[in-house]
Amino acid sequence: MSQLKTSDVLIIGGGIQGASAAYHLAQRGVCVAVVEKDTVSRHASGVNAGGVRLLGRHVAEVELSLESMRRWHQLDDELDADTGFRARSLINIAADEKDLETLAQREVQMHQLGYFHEVRLDQPELRERLPFVAPHCVGGVVSESDGYAIPFHATQAFCHAAKRLGAQFYEGQQVEQIRRVGDSWLVTTATERFQAEHLINCAGAWGDLVSVMMGDNVPMSYSAPMLMITTRMPHFATPVVGAVSRPLSFKQFENGTVLIGGGAKGFADRTANRTRLDYKLIANGAKNAIDFFPIMRTASVNRMWSGLEGYMPDNLPVLGKSARAEKAYHAFAFSAHGFQLGPVVGEVLADLVTTGETRFDLEPLRVNRYERKVL
Amino acid sequence: MSTEPLKQDSYDIAIIGAGPAGMSAAVTACAAGASVVVLDDKPHAGGQIYRGVDHSPLETPDTLGEDYIKGQALTKAFAQSGAEHLRGVNVWHVGDNGEVLLSEQGKTRRLTATQLIIANGAMERPFPIPGWHLPGVMSAGSAQVMLKSDGLVIDDAVFVGTGPLLYLIVAQYIRLGVPVKAVVDTTPKENYLNAAKVGLGVARMPKMLLKGLGLLREIRRAGVPFYRCAEALEVLGDEQATGIRFSAGGQHHEIEASRVFLHQGVIPNLNITRALGLEHHWCEQQLCWKPNLNVWGRSSLAHVAVVGDASGIVGADGAHIMGRIAALMQLESLGFIDKDQRNEQARAGFAQLASMQRFRAFIDALYRPMDAHRIPQQDATVVCRCEERSVADLKAGFALGGKLPDQLKSQTRCGMGPCQGRMCGHTVSELLGQWNEQPVSEIGYYRLRSPMRLLALEELGAFSELAPSHANAKPEVQS
Ligand SMILES: Cc1cc2nc3c(=O)[nH]c(=O)nc-3n(C[C@H](O)[C@H](O)[C@H](O)COP(=O)(O)OP(=O)(O)OC[C@H]3O[C@@H](n4cnc5c(N)ncnc54)[C@H](O)[C@@H]3O)c2cc1C
Repeated sequence: MSQLKTSDVLIIGGGIQGASAAYHLAQRGVCVAVVEKDTVSRHASGVNAGGVRLLGRHVAEVELSLESMRRWHQLDDELDADTGFRARSLINIAADEKDLETLAQREVQMHQLGYFHEVRLDQPELRERLPFVAPHCVGGVVSESDGYAIPFHATQAFCHAAKRLGAQFYEGQQVEQIRRVGDSWLVTTATERFQAEHLINCAGAWGDLVSVMMGDNVPMSYSAPMLMITTRMPHFATPVVGAVSRPLSFKQFENGTVLIGGGAKGFADRTANRTRLDYKLIANGAKNAIDFFPIMRTASVNRMWSGLEGYMPDNLPVLGKSARAEKAYHAFAFSAHGFQLGPVVGEVLADLVTTGETRFDLEPLRVNRYERKVL
Repeated sequence: MSTEPLKQDSYDIAIIGAGPAGMSAAVTACAAGASVVVLDDKPHAGGQIYRGVDHSPLETPDTLGEDYIKGQALTKAFAQSGAEHLRGVNVWHVGDNGEVLLSEQGKTRRLTATQLIIANGAMERPFPIPGWHLPGVMSAGSAQVMLKSDGLVIDDAVFVGTGPLLYLIVAQYIRLGVPVKAVVDTTPKENYLNAAKVGLGVARMPKMLLKGLGLLREIRRAGVPFYRCAEALEVLGDEQATGIRFSAGGQHHEIEASRVFLHQGVIPNLNITRALGLEHHWCEQQLCWKPNLNVWGRSSLAHVAVVGDASGIVGADGAHIMGRIAALMQLESLGFIDKDQRNEQARAGFAQLASMQRFRAFIDALYRPMDAHRIPQQDATVVCRCEERSVADLKAGFALGGKLPDQLKSQTRCGMGPCQGRMCGHTVSELLGQWNEQPVSEIGYYRLRSPMRLLALEELGAFSELAPSHANAKPEVQS
């Protein structure tokens, strides 16, 4: 067993949330260390669809997502790196009258709350922005600020910026035990021991396991959303595309390749770090892409993959202080939309650690929101 | 919407590849009564070595040599074996659950098998020298494919490299009267010494080796300029190959040529075995990754065997025997024969394989490709042809933290193109070994996934309607 490694803050998990938290803390002069069981960006944060999406966010996330979006637009300068971020707008397509009705209701709700970033499109407007869209598509909704980034590069960018400010990253270290000793946390892996005053759980699809070690039980599930990417195609779509009620999401990158997602899930074995694809479900995504964009008929699939992600029953993350322990915080189970939140999550966690509070309302995201009421 | 039901077949044994290994496995398995399907992307059985042996476009296929013609006996036995042979199909997914998805005339078909034999053979080792990516540069193997399946030849080409296949194709060209501009042999001097150390007495030199020497004599006798121990290779040209530069015998040479054929041996084609998640190891003798196998060819997945050149380079005769041995093992697992029968029937094969090992070690030592021809050192040399990534690009990615193949791939896109890393995987493993100052075995290889080859989106989309879906995709929270 090697020498005890001490820091002010210890972060478990080297995904975008852990790396962003490390960056924000190091920036404030806090001594911070990250332990990662595999390698930084190995999981969801390095293999996701790269969607930087504000459109359609649950109301509990809108404030966070708005602030994060503002950060994305200047992130390359801030981190002195290339995250691959491109503002391309995001359009959700309405395929029928029912979808239009859904959009109208959403608009009322958003306007009442004072949010005006989602703008409805009629059919000609949709066609103007997406000339190759299928004729049956009747309209849609757009968020102008949205776009995409390259997940691996963005996560690495946070990691490198954090390292430049003095943060330490320990890769290949799986946290096996967490104990509260006096006023500090003692965390052990197979070969190392870490001690810190504050502890942050950014363990992604393993977040529930780490959470339990800290004393908080959560009904998290995990799964393996699937993606596929085509070979290069002639340029046909600038905005990122989603659909109001069909499992479809895709984006065409500058090199012409088209990334197709849509939320279909494969099989996950998180203990073995393995996922398996469900080819029937991913085939459905292929069909949807062609239905909405007939030009995709000519596409060839080059690669398919999936990553491990944690989900809460309400599809909202756990973000905030531990319910049971002092000086312990959570940021996990981002339910397949945590990449966009990376910048703001780091800031929130740094605020909580250094000041004990945050300007955001984290009540709907608290770790014990599913705890049974005492009878 | 198509209403055609999904053809869904299940077999005792599915064999991928109809070369010597796959055909002999099929012949053995069928003889014992197993139901066998053999999948191959070519229109005819034969694999690389016996490609088109029963359907040669040439009037005199025997100019291709006795080793080629010999394949007819096996293709005949295979044709009569009763194995179902799916020709011209592209396997795009092999699952660890016995599922095989393949493209057949633009449609995806699904099969399942209790046991799987992977016999998809070898591919040519990448030859990453400056300019190897230019149009006009091809592999010697592709020259063979053109000759065997289309009867096509190319005049005035330069052949560069090392290994029996290189000499064979040149000799075949000469026999057919095709002018060859030059042969630039890159076998380094020390290889002759190292091969001698393997200690294969001349008296025990197998026929095959003598044949190899015969090929070299044949080439020289034909008056083709022959340069030995060539190094510092560089294909010249900006948009298109215009020639080749190299040094040999202490002199610099430059040969003008618009066609350059490169070859430095073959390595297992890993795309199926890697995507299946089989365990692999780095083989220092053959400088390639190989699946971990027991003596019967069984992989780290109990129901999957890997045989022939897909398991490590064993040659046609070795492949033939391995196919038979693996089939016997699986017949026993399936209950068609008992252990005694299995052992009895495999005994002769094991003995033959053992006697081939020396010879293989000799060949491996003699034709071991030089470090400089596998691990490119010049910044401008392209490593990943699909994404056009050079040594300099990879160095930059390495500096940014791309220490292992997958990280380097995510960092630089090297290996993300349509060849699925086939053309750069070994180079990347070895380069990273050098840069990390670690053995290649510690570095590993890309984590691969299906599809094994490009798959039309429309075909995949149609599969969603054909496949009996157990779970209906419902709209998910958006990513
Ligand atoms: C296929 C896919 C597509 C997606 N598409 C999008 C998208 O388009 N837009 C979007 O906003 N979001 C998307 N997401 C979601 C997004 O990727 C995740 O929400 C986000 O990356 C989560 O970041 P993280 O840091 O919490 O988790 P991760 O990146 O999973 O990081 C957690 C890390 O913790 C480590 N860890 C776990 N347990 C331990 C332990 N005991 N000890 C040490 N280390 C440990 C893990 O190894 C892992 O590296 C997608 C996700 C997937 C899988």
